[in-house]
Amino acid sequence: MATDWVSLATQLIWIILFILIFTGANQKIQMRLWSYDIRNKLSVIKSYLEQDRARVERQLKNLGVKSPDLLIKRAMDFFIIQPVDIEPTDIIKRLEHLIITGDKSFRKMVEQAIPTSTKYERSLVETGLSIVGVMNQIYKIVRHYLLSGEKENNWILLMQLEMSMPQIMRIVETYHKSLDAFLTGTPIGDSVGPLVTYRLIELGKVISKKVVEDTSITELWLDDRRIYVVKAEGPGSNVGRPGHVLYDLVEELKGGVDLVITIDAALKLEGEETGEIAEGIGAAIGDPGPEKIAIERATTKYGIPLKALVIKMDLGEAIHTMKKEIYEAGEKALEYVRRIIIESTKPKSTIIVAGIGNTLGVPG
Amino acid sequence: MIFDQNTMLILTLIALAILVIQLYMEYRRKPKQAKYISKELIICKKCGYEAERDYEPGDFISLVKGKCPKCGGELVIKAIYSVKLEERKT
Repeated sequence: MATDWVSLATQLIWIILFILIFTGANQKIQMRLWSYDIRNKLSVIKSYLEQDRARVERQLKNLGVKSPDLLIKRAMDFFIIQPVDIEPTDIIKRLEHLIITGDKSFRKMVEQAIPTSTKYERSLVETGLSIVGVMNQIYKIVRHYLLSGEKENNWILLMQLEMSMPQIMRIVETYHKSLDAFLTGTPIGDSVGPLVTYRLIELGKVISKKVVEDTSITELWLDDRRIYVVKAEGPGSNVGRPGHVLYDLVEELKGGVDLVITIDAALKLEGEETGEIAEGIGAAIGDPGPEKIAIERATTKYGIPLKALVIKMDLGEAIHTMKKEIYEAGEKALEYVRRIIIESTKPKSTIIVAGIGNTLGVPG
Repeated sequence: MIFDQNTMLILTLIALAILVIQLYMEYRRKPKQAKYISKELIICKKCGYEAERDYEPGDFISLVKGKCPKCGGELVIKAIYSVKLEERKT
């Protein structure tokens, strides 16, 4: 008797399974499960966004802004439209123009809201607002694909979104945690390039210093060589315009430069060690294009050797407070740079060393 | 193919055990996030005295932070970095 019941139940299960498979209802169930999971993760992103927004709001209130809502709303939805790329003529000039206009407009917006604050404080606010803007953008895009997938019963779209969610969540958490460093002003992993060049300035005998477009140029004498150090002006959250400034410097020196070295943080591949140093050829700079091409053009025009030194780290390490391992790698990179200079050039040579990256917490 | 009640029970238990083991393995696979604390390394440029202190908001590299307890020279922030909390306890 019992065996009959078991047999009946087994057959019923099989019949239900067949019906589900032939009518496609199994996919609908799967879609509901994905949709539920994405919704849960979306609510986590929303809570991070609200927390970050509240922190930036508090910072603005501390700086004397009575109603920071308007500024935050404007900054969160701020965008730059990419230039036309089906006509590549002068695309770099157009891109550079849009980036500069975007930066200036954003800075002006912040400056008008907190006119009594210092440049350093404003730079921290600007980056904090940018982070909230990125979080808001991610939240809106994930929500858009979730709602579109549900509306159109597009299970492939939902599946792709569900499969991408772990990576998206990792990026969101990285940005969420990075706000700590940008609100307090501690150097971040990406500051390692400016840090190495700052150490170089400390070691040498400084001859002259000037600041052009938020980028400092320090002329110094070290190891019997004339070295020009180019880095973003610190210690605020600033990346400067190292490519553009380096181009103008090479022109000013009429191409009389024997070596150009760029030092930057580089994203490591999974399995690589944090703080690994690698040497190579080319411009180590991760901008959208205008700064990198300026370095390449300047060195190509006068046939100047262009070397690169990178310090490996992951995205989280690059935008969170600098880890001790990265600081120690920076100290090793300093010796590495000096060795490259001595090996590749003769005494009395002229060298340009560019420390690329955000100079948060690093002066000079 | 017809199973008796006992066989069905055993199969269900095996399936449940596999599910529990898989869930446990998935839980173990998730990396635990370490906590970090910001520190600053201060040095005396005169006598080379070095000390690690907790980071104070607004501090930056090269900022003068008081007098050296050994020689009275100026203490300067040499580095600011984060260290793992677990490492500090051991």
